[in-house]
Amino acid sequence: MRVLVIDPDPARAALVAEGLQGVDPLEVKQAAAFDEREVQAFAPDVVVIASDSPDRDTLESLREASQTNPRPVVMFVDRSEPGLAEQAVRAGVAAYVVDGLAPARVRPILDVAMSRFALTQQLRGDLAKAKADLESRRTVEKAKGLLMKERGLDEDGAYRLLRKLAMDKGRPIGSVAADLLAFANILKGDAS
Amino acid sequence: MSGLADLRLGFIPLTDCAPLIVARTLGLFAEEGLRVELNREAAWATIRDKVAVGALDGAHMLAPMTLAAGVSPDIAKPMIAPMALNANGSAITVSTALARALEEIDPVALAARPVTAAPLKALIDQRRRTGARLLTFAVVFPYSMHNYALRYWLAQAGVDPDRDVRLVVTPPPRMVEQLASGAIDGFCVGAPWNAVAAARGVGEILMKASQFWPGGPDKVFGVTADWAAGHADELRAALRALIRAAAWADDRANRDELVALLARPEHVGVDPAAIARALEGEIVFHRGAAGLPRRDHALWFLSQMARWGQVARDLDAEAVADRVYRLDLFRAAALSLGPVLDPTLVFADAAPAPSALFDGAAPTSPTA
Repeated sequence: MRVLVIDPDPARAALVAEGLQGVDPLEVKQAAAFDEREVQAFAPDVVVIASDSPDRDTLESLREASQTNPRPVVMFVDRSEPGLAEQAVRAGVAAYVVDGLAPARVRPILDVAMSRFALTQQLRGDLAKAKADLESRRTVEKAKGLLMKERGLDEDGAYRLLRKLAMDKGRPIGSVAADLLAFANILKGDAS
Repeated sequence: MSGLADLRLGFIPLTDCAPLIVARTLGLFAEEGLRVELNREAAWATIRDKVAVGALDGAHMLAPMTLAAGVSPDIAKPMIAPMALNANGSAITVSTALARALEEIDPVALAARPVTAAPLKALIDQRRRTGARLLTFAVVFPYSMHNYALRYWLAQAGVDPDRDVRLVVTPPPRMVEQLASGAIDGFCVGAPWNAVAAARGVGEILMKASQFWPGGPDKVFGVTADWAAGHADELRAALRALIRAAAWADDRANRDELVALLARPEHVGVDPAAIARALEGEIVFHRGAAGLPRRDHALWFLSQMARWGQVARDLDAEAVADRVYRLDLFRAAALSLGPVLDPTLVFADAAPAPSALFDGAAPTSPTA
């Protein structure tokens, strides 16, 4: 497991390392501030960051923007804010860890953060795929309608023609249908 | 029991947190029956999370954060913006090295103010031919006026913000050092950091928010919709204190005191001269109904969020704007202050309509 701890204070990195004793292989790296190149090179499985670090916004934007290597983030919260950790975890905001926790709790918390993260990523992926599928089905329906009207085919015949085109070209049926509609629009003079 | 309600409010060390600092320090919250603890936070994501889970009751927020709450998958808890904390204040600044390169390409455009991204477009095309690296620009958060202003400015001149430059998020206090070190080539950030970069000779301001969109939006006071529903009296009291504080902060007679207050290490903590610079003819807290959470502002933000793929294009923007931008709450609080304020300031139709953006486009047009 590769863990990056972003915190100017080496004590937290030491705590994390202590809590993860027995995990093999294990690499815990401490950085005072976020450095994109350093993070890319290290490729951590999880990032632990102090809640009072201004680098949180940068990490968060990477999570949002990059599909390439998003990673779960665990936050350390100051002990003077009782209840925040529990509330945050319950609200699903992020995995917060209260400062001063026992090393024995480190492992389960990182595990929870990583599995929660994997789940969110999967949900996002599923959602994007469901949207794309729906869009593709709508396009195919429209293309079918066009073929039925222009070529005098019945619904089944229109679908078979589309499928044949897709197989001949080795492309998904949705994109063949989209091309067909685009060309039809151009022929109608609507090139926008 | 003292009879005062306890509130915990968060802020980020920026000049536009002034209404919160003033209301707390001058005792305006206390006069409204509130005992307020102000927490200085380091990151917008932390502000959002703490407000979402109730560790903070309300906070100084980037206006688009409140609109994204409940719409974006990253912000689960619906929020409201019952008051704008300021108009204008941010700026687009580039490194002196980049400014010189732009000047070489187009000295006339760079001498004009504001500067469009047209010379930048020419430079980017030239750099592409020579295989030079992409230029890097920083903003403070994905959901921010800064992100949308920079993207709009780039796109207006034909620069694709997602392909022709590299956009990164950098915390405001680190912007100037990163510009100086060459890690970034330009940024869009709030006061006082543009003035700090200019004063240190590491950056040049190309476009101020007041030039990008005169009277344009920036920060708001944000709370969760749940908290607002359960704490109507506390919210009205807080808004009254903040409206009075904003009026005080705008008054020239209080300028020196305001600058000294903000410059304190526990508040913004930078050189008073840099703070004074943005207060001079740039940031407005109260005049011209700057506190109104205007529907037009919300709709512009939502149009930009859709334009850059942060929200679905078929999102019902009007419904979101009406749910989040609670002009009614602002108006009720302002009217209850009576003679303290000019009541005409609290009605949207009594104030000038939103002006045009720097390129002449109306901010409410969907293509803007």
